[in-house]
Amino acid sequence: MTAFPLKFRQTADGDVLFCDDAGGFFKSDDAFLSRYAHDQFTADDDAFLLRNGHAFEEVGDLAYSGFEYRFASRLYAPGPLDYIILVPTLRCNLACGYCQVSRVNENTPGFDWSNQTLEAVLSFLGTITAPKIKIEFQGGEPTLRLDILSTVRDFCRSRFERCEFVVCTNLQDVSDEVWSFLSLTDVYVSTSLDGDVSTHELQRTFKSARTAQFVENLDAAIARLGNGKVSALPTIDPRRPPEPKSVIEAYTSRGMNSIYLRPVNYQGFARKRYDARASSSAWNAYHSSFIDELVEFNFTAEVPAEEYYFVHCLRRILRAGHNGHVDLRNPNIVGHGYVVIDHDGKIYPTDEARMVSRVGQFDLSMGDVFTGMSMATVDALNEEAANNFHPDCVHCTYQAYCGIDLVDDLSRYGRIDLPKDQTDFCQRHLALFDKIFAMIYSDDPKIRKSLAIWAGVPSFDASIARCHQ
Amino acid sequence: MIDLRLKIDPLPIVEPLVIRLRNEPQNYQTEHDAVLVDTEGTRLEYDYNGFSFGLHRQDDENFDGDVILALPGQRIAHRLIRSKSPHNTFLVTEQCDQLCVMCSQPPKKHHADLFSQFAVAASLAPLNATIGISGGEPLLHKERLFSMVETVASTRPDIRFHILSNGQHFVTEDIARLVAMGTERILWGIPIYAADRLTHDRIVGKDGAFQNLQRGLGILIKAGSSIELRTVVMQQNKDRLSDLANFLFTRLSCIDVWAIMQMERIGYGRMNWATSFHDSSTDFTQIAKAIDMSAARGISIALYNFPLCSVPPQYREFALSTISDWKQKYLDICERCGSRAACGGFFEWYSHKEGFAGLGAL
Repeated sequence: MTAFPLKFRQTADGDVLFCDDAGGFFKSDDAFLSRYAHDQFTADDDAFLLRNGHAFEEVGDLAYSGFEYRFASRLYAPGPLDYIILVPTLRCNLACGYCQVSRVNENTPGFDWSNQTLEAVLSFLGTITAPKIKIEFQGGEPTLRLDILSTVRDFCRSRFERCEFVVCTNLQDVSDEVWSFLSLTDVYVSTSLDGDVSTHELQRTFKSARTAQFVENLDAAIARLGNGKVSALPTIDPRRPPEPKSVIEAYTSRGMNSIYLRPVNYQGFARKRYDARASSSAWNAYHSSFIDELVEFNFTAEVPAEEYYFVHCLRRILRAGHNGHVDLRNPNIVGHGYVVIDHDGKIYPTDEARMVSRVGQFDLSMGDVFTGMSMATVDALNEEAANNFHPDCVHCTYQAYCGIDLVDDLSRYGRIDLPKDQTDFCQRHLALFDKIFAMIYSDDPKIRKSLAIWAGVPSFDASIARCHQ
Repeated sequence: MIDLRLKIDPLPIVEPLVIRLRNEPQNYQTEHDAVLVDTEGTRLEYDYNGFSFGLHRQDDENFDGDVILALPGQRIAHRLIRSKSPHNTFLVTEQCDQLCVMCSQPPKKHHADLFSQFAVAASLAPLNATIGISGGEPLLHKERLFSMVETVASTRPDIRFHILSNGQHFVTEDIARLVAMGTERILWGIPIYAADRLTHDRIVGKDGAFQNLQRGLGILIKAGSSIELRTVVMQQNKDRLSDLANFLFTRLSCIDVWAIMQMERIGYGRMNWATSFHDSSTDFTQIAKAIDMSAARGISIALYNFPLCSVPPQYREFALSTISDWKQKYLDICERCGSRAACGGFFEWYSHKEGFAGLGAL
């Protein structure tokens, strides 16, 4: 029998968590660790490891190929380009203190697509070979250019078999024409509700009349379009976050039961105002308390709720092939499955790359719609985009579940070669995975109930949390 | 129960003959088509390439698009394809090298090779049909089976096959051919009853079967084949389901679906009913655990042949309506049930006296 390599980490309760490269895991103790280190497995150890997919008898047997498959399907391979983020204008009718997307005032000229840009964007979309497409309109406030949104939609519907359009709007001033567009069957709304209403006012609207106007529009959108077509994100300032309870109440009372907490992003104009660089510990503490509050909520709630990213990470631990989120992939190949087209027609691999470029740190653009894509920069980036062989990540217990975010590293530190454990990305994910494993190994019925809901099963079976003595 | 045999006027043939029945002359497309020319009471008269051919129906059944097989000297034709049904299965052989305790189709020694006829029949199936291939053990005639699939694939690339096999007969040399036949074209339905050699081998009545099965599955995996693992749950293996769930997660995550199945009370299944049938309506514990372990870890899992009311409410979403229409029935208690449309009901040969104790209309 040969065991696959195990990585290990002491847990808060004094046990040792072991994980393998295919994402298999179990808990044991120092005695087992010592037997592992000294190559002194007992017959019991052998049987346990073999039964649970941590070992094989012969190269090519089912245990071996099963491991190979689970390892391989955790790797992300980009599909064809079928998701485009469009920024038709940088102008916005709000001036949020943390604005992540770099905006200009509503009346500033020169930050909209020109007619030539629009035409070039349509030609670019025309070269896409996938049968379906997802277009996300960002800004600025994209509804300020409803004419462009309509033109793009008409073009896509004539060009692709299936289309989906997401409008990322602040829902602050919604004209009748905008309502008509948002009501179309293939249009979805993504907006911001910063935690609860008072935090929203503090961070975004500043005046109570403006706040009331937004809340009215949000509730009208849910009523008119249905909550399946409206999603909202709370941007949280970790230094003065809203009470988790009031965030859960603000969202679930509107039928929005998937809440995706976002920390203020250290990019764009946000960096000038907030010190987000050292905020990961504050964020981790807040996020953890938010999950605890959700567990309480779900124990009695008729309709349960989730924190989107926490559930994503939980499922990445439990399952292979769960690569649906651009923020957590390995290797994190950018510039293939989706791209961003900025207000000036430049193409970027991600929205964050657009902002890094805008503040002048690095030019991460990959060509423009006038002259075409150029892959040199993203190719160079993608060569470093795997955690499998990274000298820090290879020792990490959570490597199989984790990803890599080079643009985030560039944005925060101006380099990608900082020791990983000093990065915000690593610190946030270590804390997240620690939290999830503590919950997986908990016998608290409240926690087990939420885990079952979030894992999508009737009951969270205790045998998933394997232990070996 | 829908009779899969039809009474016909005997045909002057010396070889088995495959005929597709058409109602309208404009639907005549191939030399295998027979066109309805007259209806007289229960007798339908068809024109088959200039010959007259008579078929007798019981009700007002419409045979348009159906494919039948007539054998020399017989007054009975076999309905190979019913064009309106999703449940069309070719029984390609009755020979088998296993003797499973729950077998619904006990093996016979004799084999009649009708693969050429099956290839013609498949090529006459409706667009995008999936055709079941069953036995016996189809792979005892692997060369003939593979050529049949290849023949159909070349003329009817839209047709897919669902082949039930015990997985004992794959060899490494098959991989290239499995790939060439198209891994999406064939879904292999392979039974596995336990994660341990002793239990599995005892259930299938063959020493070394589990070892062979692991080797066979290894070959299918290397070919990238689509796999449905099938586990009939019985008294013999119910307490080992969670070990099997763990085995499938660690070794066989690549499968398309794991089907946990209820027994069919016919053949050996009827003979061994008392010692094998597990009443999952009164004890669902082990099945629930297998579902919880698998679904959480991303294994697609389904219950086949479970009446909905026999399954606890929170697990009903896993219970699919899987009993083929021609051998499906409902009980008296189903009359007042609101979930009948979503429920697969019971096998024609199910006996409620010896069956589920915990049923009730939903």
